Amino acid sequence: MNALTLSFTLNGNDVSLDISPNTLLVDLLRDKFRLTGTKVGCREGECGACTVLLDGTPVNSCILPAAKVQGKSLTTIEGLADENGQLSEIQEAFMHEGAAQCGFCTPGMIMNSTALLERNPEPNNQEIRQSLSGTLCRCTGYRKIVQAVATAGEMKKSQG
Amino acid sequence: MALTFKDLHWAKNIQVQQYLQPETLEEALEMLANFEGKARVIAGGTDVVPQLRGRDIEVEALVDVTGIPGMDGIDQDGENIVLGGLVTHAQVASSDLIRNKALLLSEGAGSVGSPQIRNIATVAGNLVSGQPGADTSIPLLALDATVTIASGDGERKVPLTAFFLDKGKTVLDCTREILTSIQFRGLMENQGGCYLRLAKRKALTLPMLVLAAVVNADPGKEIINRAAIAMGPVAPVPYRATNVEAWLKGAPISDETFAAAADMGMQECAPRDSCLRGSCDYRQEMSKVFIKRGLTKATANIGS
Amino acid sequence: MQDKTEGKQKVQVLTGEKPGLDQLLETPEKKLSVAGHSIARTDDPAKVTGKLMYGADYPQEGFLHGKILRSPHPHALIKSIDIKKAKELPGVAAVLTGKDVPGRNGFGAILPDQPVICEDKVRYVGDGVALVAAVTEEIAHEALSLIRVEYEVLPAVFDPRDALKPDAPRIHEGGNLLSDNKLRKGNVEKGFEEADIIMERTYQVPFLEHAYLEPDVTLAVPQPDGTMLVEGPMQAPFTVRRNLAAVLGVPVNRVRARQIHMGGGFGGKEDSPIDIGCRAAVLAHHTGRPVRIALEREEVTLQTCKRHPMIMEVKIGAGKDGKLLAFEGVIYDEQGAYAGLGPIIPPAGGSHIHSMVMMPGPYEIPNAKVDAYLCYTNHPYGGAMRGFGAPQVHIAHEQMIDELAGELGLDPLEVRRTNAFRLGSATATGQVLDQSVGLLDTLEACAEAFRWKERFGKNEYVDAQSSKRRGIGTGMGWYRTSIGTNGDGCGANVYVHEDGSVLLYSGITEMGQGAFTVLPQICAEELGVAMEDIRLVEPDTDRVPESGPTVGSRSTTLMGNAIIMAARQVKSSILEMASEMLLVPVERLEAKNRLIYDREDTHKSLTFTEVAAKCMAMGKRLIGQGWWTPPAPSLDPETGQGNPYFVYTYSTHMAEVLVDVETGGVEVTDYVAAFDVGKAINPKALEGQIEGGVAMGLGYALMEEVAMVDGIPQNLNLQDYLIPTSLDMPDVKPIVLEVENKFGPYGAKGIGEMPNIPATPAILNAITDACGGRVRSLPADPERVFMAIREAGGPPER
Repeated sequence: MNALTLSFTLNGNDVSLDISPNTLLVDLLRDKFRLTGTKVGCREGECGACTVLLDGTPVNSCILPAAKVQGKSLTTIEGLADENGQLSEIQEAFMHEGAAQCGFCTPGMIMNSTALLERNPEPNNQEIRQSLSGTLCRCTGYRKIVQAVATAGEMKKSQG
Repeated sequence: MALTFKDLHWAKNIQVQQYLQPETLEEALEMLANFEGKARVIAGGTDVVPQLRGRDIEVEALVDVTGIPGMDGIDQDGENIVLGGLVTHAQVASSDLIRNKALLLSEGAGSVGSPQIRNIATVAGNLVSGQPGADTSIPLLALDATVTIASGDGERKVPLTAFFLDKGKTVLDCTREILTSIQFRGLMENQGGCYLRLAKRKALTLPMLVLAAVVNADPGKEIINRAAIAMGPVAPVPYRATNVEAWLKGAPISDETFAAAADMGMQECAPRDSCLRGSCDYRQEMSKVFIKRGLTKATANIGS
Repeated sequence: MQDKTEGKQKVQVLTGEKPGLDQLLETPEKKLSVAGHSIARTDDPAKVTGKLMYGADYPQEGFLHGKILRSPHPHALIKSIDIKKAKELPGVAAVLTGKDVPGRNGFGAILPDQPVICEDKVRYVGDGVALVAAVTEEIAHEALSLIRVEYEVLPAVFDPRDALKPDAPRIHEGGNLLSDNKLRKGNVEKGFEEADIIMERTYQVPFLEHAYLEPDVTLAVPQPDGTMLVEGPMQAPFTVRRNLAAVLGVPVNRVRARQIHMGGGFGGKEDSPIDIGCRAAVLAHHTGRPVRIALEREEVTLQTCKRHPMIMEVKIGAGKDGKLLAFEGVIYDEQGAYAGLGPIIPPAGGSHIHSMVMMPGPYEIPNAKVDAYLCYTNHPYGGAMRGFGAPQVHIAHEQMIDELAGELGLDPLEVRRTNAFRLGSATATGQVLDQSVGLLDTLEACAEAFRWKERFGKNEYVDAQSSKRRGIGTGMGWYRTSIGTNGDGCGANVYVHEDGSVLLYSGITEMGQGAFTVLPQICAEELGVAMEDIRLVEPDTDRVPESGPTVGSRSTTLMGNAIIMAARQVKSSILEMASEMLLVPVERLEAKNRLIYDREDTHKSLTFTEVAAKCMAMGKRLIGQGWWTPPAPSLDPETGQGNPYFVYTYSTHMAEVLVDVETGGVEVTDYVAAFDVGKAINPKALEGQIEGGVAMGLGYALMEEVAMVDGIPQNLNLQDYLIPTSLDMPDVKPIVLEVENKFGPYGAKGIGEMPNIPATPAILNAITDACGGRVRSLPADPERVFMAIREAGGPPER
């Protein structure tokens, strides 16, 4: 196997390392960087538990060859809180609304919602549901998750 | 059918010896040529990676074409719209140009998989998958699109009507060739389009039936001058209902016409019995429903 | 908030227009300060930051990777197995066959009839025939592919009715009929004679998959002292432990099972951890090294337990006023290849007997007869899945009630009102429901919120052009709290320390239902301290007392009671000491908000910490222990008469759907679900259970099925096994009522399973209301709805 040297920005930090060519992004994050917040649910791109933001865009890391992040910026759930540990509005809203039950889909839901609110600060119910439609939840029925995203939008708005 | 080892045991990884990231089209084609059939193109990877994991395909190397410049744009060339080979489903779904000029394609692209998949998966990849019900293949087929294929021998243009060979197989050899662009004419004033999808849930699911129609009418909107009806999966490849299209030429725009066309179309379709996506009987019935609906909607959309 | 007193029951209604609206509930006896509040979940911060560790997140260094070789045949003899090449592969630490199992080569939650490694035959596609441990997953996978097994294929059986035929292929030595159970009440022949109308229908439901987002994983770690530790997601650490001990051939006290927070369970992780846990442990035993087995999603669907498919034949006799006079039911309950959680644990444990008891529904029926057959087939085996046999039979009786109403030209709500349980009703097992029966209250609350009366009979097409037609439907349900076995008990330990901090030991596991929050709430309430003062010690069989499995909606009630007992034991020390310190009689002392104070003179107070410190200094016991068992269950094995479960939760759901009458496509557009939960310990968490449960019920109604063809499952991954997405779910409005359970902590009874049960028939009934067709064989996917419309003579007239 021919190793590749991968250089990219991970949660705001520049990193560079050699990887084997068959590495998938989710395994790179979980095994190499020990960022286990990104979950493996299906390895088919069918459940969204592995969602991360690649240059701000939600993608399924379980089917993304790690090499594709070359020169790009990657954000995982671990990268949302600020340097002081202050949680993002979405993270706060999820707790406030009781939107996490088993919590396994929660990182994926939060990453998708983070991207949504960046591009659409006041999404309606349908738009929220549409943006979350690629992330499955078996516990919540989605209601409190949708609520949390709406609440986070309001929180962001009130902070100006 | 006897189960094999890979039907019962799953790996977590893919087996690939090299992952190459060419920076130009020429470089990519050269790399492919060097591997003599043992490497293949990967764009978004949303089809290729699961296939590799499932050991449905085996390669020594992947040639990632997403670094090739100039292939990720949606451009207008007169009446034609040109999609670069790296244009994603998300781009097409949200493009103002395509929403205005070929809404059926936007809707089709917006129905694939999920937001995460659409952000990465390319329309070219959807075509190359050769799936009979692929959500962009069907509208592009109705739009009489043409694709440009680059290889070591140069460039060739293939109309989509000649592109699909069998389920999962197209004229494009992904070990040697790259689909560099897709062209089609945007809808004109006298044309209306429509895209319909039948599935068991509203996201993340393969369709039971997809239909796209483009109808040309006379200025008075009384006669059908031309109709293009593409459907899938009702055959091994994305299907144009050419008999129905021929019959519709010159037919009056009316419920009766649409109903008769639907009856005719149903006879043409030969979907398989699918355990997961509907019996042959049901899918034929749905073909009938969709042809009627598709024609109704497409004619209603004329001029909009 | 309303307070309605009805008969001898007090009904509190907790409704919220805005989701999560929290209301402080007052009962005349006691104002609650921790329990009864929507306290934020203790593990939320870890969940939203990605810090919470699930089984697969634990470091893998030092672990061998285990994998299972599976049978490609549904039924076959194993003639030979050649492991030579696999063993020789570099990096392979062990290749094991059946003879390598150190103890009992059998596991199972109830009967240990499933081989850890099959020796003589295989009984379903996916059955395990060899185990491999290697230094990487890739090598283990390759090693598997090098094992050669020679099979002699046997004829297989895939239908429980075929399995009962005398010439059917024999799956287990004892024959294919695993259990044959009867319920006999009154005289059904007489009942049918008296009836004005008799109807017969058959309903059928398929295999369902739990589809928890977290695939199964287990870590088996041999300990320096020779004991074996197994860690991972698991709902039943004690069941895992007892199976592992038998499989390893060691006493129970030499095995330790530790639960790691689960990414969903829904009953599936009651026995899947036994399956992979035993296999990992056997590999760990042989190699002397830690072994990790992590299933891929496809393997989870292929190998682990399912919800039992059933064929249910129902015959009812009723008066023309809708009053039920006779109910006769036959259940062909498909157990699959192994006993799983089907067989009876006396008197009323196991899913099969539970189905039988629940079959006639929450209705007063003077004459009832049920024959229930639990049959082996060469299919995946049936385990527990949220409802444990109740969802299936609800689909039968709730549709039947609607079909009856249709025949009689009555509002289906009226028929339910006429027959529904009320306080003092007798069930089909002759159990008199003498407390906590809020069924009709849920019906009325639901009907009011849903505006049933306004909407009933108004089904119509959306507009003149549309092929979509609206319909509404209802489903009522009941579900037990507890598992109906003689051994159903929960133990809890509460230790208070010198600084007032508390350790709570409970074997109830967390799978997202909120147990790790609700149980400390109860502890904090009883002790009079704050949530932050309680630390819950995770379920580890070496540390916590026997608690039974986290199933059967038993956790809040049984463990809550055990915790209250344990807390009261400690509290008696605290109050005695405070009494000495304050010179106030014990009876006048109250413990609340970290204070101990004189109820009659609140200035006389001490902090909880002060008193705890004094207790410690004076050698006063600060260890509390509780063990709670429900009132003894009973069920006559010949007649099915008795009191199988001591209390029930009740629910009514109403759904509105739009059916595209041309394609059969269904959309659920409006939904209200009302529950009598006894007492909501954490209202927000409870709402979450409701909303999620309805989603599961919707999936059952419209899209879920593990399709089997010749014993081979056709849809192993989540692309093809469909569960509802965010776009498929309506905005569910939950209504919570509290009709106090006198046996429950602060009046609570179970809620975990109830929400998904009436949802399925409510939606099915709404579909029929919308389009006239009825789907009796699930799921009601577009094709089946289309066929039903066709069978009904075509779409309704405009």
